Amino acid sequence: MNREGFTGFSRGEARTRTATSLNFETQGPLNKLMRLPWGFILLIVAMALTGIAMLYSSAHTNPVEAHLWKLQLVRFVFCFFMMIGLALLPLSWWMRLAFPAYAGTVLLLVLVELMGVTGGGAQRWLQIGPVAVQPSEFAKLAVTMALARYYQMVLQPQTGRVLVHLGALAIILLPAALIFKQPDFGTTLALVASGGVVIFLAGLSVRVIGTAIIGGVASVWPVYQFVLAPYQRERVDTFLAQLFGGATNALGESYQIEQGKIAIGAGGFNGRGWLQGIQSQQDYVPEQHTDFILTVIAEEFGFLGSTALLLCFAVILGWSLYSAARSVSWFGRLASAGAVATVGFYIVFNVGMVLGLLPVVGMPLPLISYGGTAMLTTMACFGLIIAAHMHRDEKLTARGLF
Amino acid sequence: MSKKPADLDFAFTRRTAIAGTAGGLVWAGLIARLFQLQILDKERYQAQAEANHIKLQLAPPQRGRILDRFGRPLASHRRAGRISITPEQTDDPEHTLAQVAALIELPDERLERIANEIRLSRRRNAGFVPVTVAHELTYEDFARMNVHAAEMPGVNVEMALTRSYPRGRDFAHVLGYVARASQDDLVRLTEGMSDKESETLKTMFRHPDMRTGRQGMERFAEEWLRGKPGYRKLVTNAHGRVIEEIPDERLAPTPGRDLFVTIDSDLQRVAIERFEGESGAAVVVDVETGDVLAMVSTPAFDPNDFVNGISTASYAELRDDKRSPLYPRAHGGVYPPGSTFKMVVATAALESGAVKPTDRVHCNGYYHFGNRTWHCWKKGGHGSVNLHTGIKGSCDVYFYEIARRTGVDKIAETARKFGFGQDWVLGMTGGRGGLVPDREWKQRVRKESWYEGETLNFGIGQGQLGTTPLQLALMTARIATEGKPFKPRMIGIGPQSQDDHTLDAPLDPEVMKLMKAGMYGVTSEGGGTAYRSGDLGLGGPRLAGKTGTAQVRRISREERLSGVRSGSEIARELRDHALFVAYAPADNPKYAISVVVEHGEGGSRTAAPVARDILHFALKTDSRRKPAYSQSASLPKSMTDDGEPT
Repeated sequence: MNREGFTGFSRGEARTRTATSLNFETQGPLNKLMRLPWGFILLIVAMALTGIAMLYSSAHTNPVEAHLWKLQLVRFVFCFFMMIGLALLPLSWWMRLAFPAYAGTVLLLVLVELMGVTGGGAQRWLQIGPVAVQPSEFAKLAVTMALARYYQMVLQPQTGRVLVHLGALAIILLPAALIFKQPDFGTTLALVASGGVVIFLAGLSVRVIGTAIIGGVASVWPVYQFVLAPYQRERVDTFLAQLFGGATNALGESYQIEQGKIAIGAGGFNGRGWLQGIQSQQDYVPEQHTDFILTVIAEEFGFLGSTALLLCFAVILGWSLYSAARSVSWFGRLASAGAVATVGFYIVFNVGMVLGLLPVVGMPLPLISYGGTAMLTTMACFGLIIAAHMHRDEKLTARGLF
Repeated sequence: MSKKPADLDFAFTRRTAIAGTAGGLVWAGLIARLFQLQILDKERYQAQAEANHIKLQLAPPQRGRILDRFGRPLASHRRAGRISITPEQTDDPEHTLAQVAALIELPDERLERIANEIRLSRRRNAGFVPVTVAHELTYEDFARMNVHAAEMPGVNVEMALTRSYPRGRDFAHVLGYVARASQDDLVRLTEGMSDKESETLKTMFRHPDMRTGRQGMERFAEEWLRGKPGYRKLVTNAHGRVIEEIPDERLAPTPGRDLFVTIDSDLQRVAIERFEGESGAAVVVDVETGDVLAMVSTPAFDPNDFVNGISTASYAELRDDKRSPLYPRAHGGVYPPGSTFKMVVATAALESGAVKPTDRVHCNGYYHFGNRTWHCWKKGGHGSVNLHTGIKGSCDVYFYEIARRTGVDKIAETARKFGFGQDWVLGMTGGRGGLVPDREWKQRVRKESWYEGETLNFGIGQGQLGTTPLQLALMTARIATEGKPFKPRMIGIGPQSQDDHTLDAPLDPEVMKLMKAGMYGVTSEGGGTAYRSGDLGLGGPRLAGKTGTAQVRRISREERLSGVRSGSEIARELRDHALFVAYAPADNPKYAISVVVEHGEGGSRTAAPVARDILHFALKTDSRRKPAYSQSASLPKSMTDDGEPT
């Protein structure tokens, strides 16, 4: 029986006919492990290892950073097992965790506001014991889960009213406002964008969407003028200047973008080879092991390498979105799609920024960039996507808040 | 407006497809941008990447060496470890400096000076020129710094070529020394240059490897030795650290030219040793070619101490040393020539016709003139004296008489014909011309007319008369060659001074023969004042010379009466200087020499043996033999002191 794509059947009907994937809970845990989407997981592992190889390439000449690739490898191994663990978690547990996780994240964000550590001009970090965490990263996952949980609760009794989406908007805007205040414009934008995708997928009427788009475009200038901090405005200005080919001062604010573009362009079609990039090996691009890691890939592996990377991301996200579409529960659908949107916006913002198409917003490249919190969030997102995939046929019932 | 779950399901699927499509479009946009950057604009960015990491760095030229007559290096190069900081390559130079100071020992005073220099270079916008932090690193320091340099942006640890004077003190006053160009040096060096030329020169001199001649031949031949700067093509990382160097012949600096001096460094060494720690000067001249073969002034300083800047304390020590090691005695030391001047007086007397060689003067130990009495050095007198015995016995009374008969102006004129009164540069600095007094000079400078009694003092080489050991050697050479034109020089290959001229004023050869006979008498006939020094110990050749004593102060009446005016009874620094001039071999002169032993008292006792031993060595080893630079094929290759090619 064809379960793929548009079948005309409602999901529920289709599932009842092919019950092979029903009731994993009744089968052994080993069996469940065997049924994980291993191709998908292997692709993720391959990309993370590529990222570590690029990290080695970008930092091995610098004695201070030369060891970072090992640290990143350890983190990845940890995150990998966490992802598998999360993937095996029953979707009902995810749902039960959604609101508490959301509440916890908002609490952390408030704590950051009150007692956070300032770094790079913004108050983003929270010191918990030995580790410094960035609650704004967790917020992405927490908001996705909370939205899915919320829609699971309100869409089930078929209330397709416009007003139900106001609750979702509130779920997004509360943490978004806290993050914006840190200030962290990039994360706010990513949060609102992926939240918006969830609302869109949850069926917000086209008219409202149209109005929102018009309102959004209209608010661009007022936001630029009155909401953005001077340093943020400067970044936007720099971005616009280089985008339209205006005079850019190569040693000034656009230095990073310029050097990044030189590295990418110098890669040519097939690149200079691993450890051979003249820009990358000589530290010309600031932050090339974190946000600008793509410049190293582009220079050393050329157009072939960078395109292959983007296509791998496309495969991962496409499969995930497809898997989300096959989920019967609203929670499964929206949580999975929200996670796809979260990771997708990471990629778009990062690549767009590095390629000089978007302002510098300080967004890492998932799986590739050096950094612990982003790795954790990304891998948790994949864990959620796989969990939704594993339990795609499970009908969930939500009562109360837990 | 509620919907059925089935409608909602369908809407979700449709919207997922829309979202996926939108995502696909965005992806396509990103890939299109990659295509634009990496395929379409590839060449532009590749060129930029190339230009980014290749930097041209000013490369100082290697200074020419100074070699002696036989190609032995007197000024060359030595490899030494050096640390410098390039201010523009570090965000916080003070911190970088502190990091370096934690690894090697640096006195606070020096740290302060370096910090100042870095601040200054930033203010001048010359942050790309490295500032030296330490040089002459020990092997351990060099190795340790090399290990840590990678962690300290802007810190360069390298082997540099440093000016080196392998003969140390021997040539201090001839060669002078090099030093970092000071503001004064730069003003002097850029005089008359266009702004652009002057800016290039100043930039070049800020390089830590660049030195400029501060004194002596290093200064005199600065342009000959300096060469022209070039550039190094360096691959650098974003912090300016040099990754590798790309060799490019066309950009290489033009090294300075080697300079040959006429001196025989072995003869120089022997001469210095012969002074046995006494202070004094000696000059040896080849009488046929005019080549200066030795130019000794001792004690001297070690020019190696000045190359990297001498400390204030060490300099003060040199400056305050009672024996004046900084004083260039051979060409800048002005001494009354004493009796060595008597040949000049005799020549003037004979050439003017005022005296005939056979004219006799009776010496009974003193000479009356006006209402004063002048004494002969020999108590009781020489008896009846003619020209020959007058020179041989150095009879003062005889010379009082002939000087008086000849007159001051004629003596002064003759003295100038011998080269007195002239500052012979010969490629050195710090030389002096001394003074040949005459009536005109006295009127002009002292505003007094010449007092006839002064002519008597002039006649025995005392009084206002001031000469340098170099001038005395030239005088002796003129006598030895019987007045043939004679051009003194000390630079074999290199720039020549415009001020030095050929000594070609005519001297009567017959008169010169008489002078030589007199000088031969001094060392080889009974009654000669240096009878014992005539034999060179080579089983034949003898030297002919003349002793002299330069009074350090006037002899008091009491001393003359008591007879105490030498030996341990008077303070050392008040004792007379001993002089001796000579040429050898007596029958076929090749070498002329002058020796001054400061506070040596008796010319025959202390100066003559020194001159004899120097001439002995010169004759034995044939110092004046054909110099290396006359056969250009066998020029030694440029190499450092430890024998590595540069």
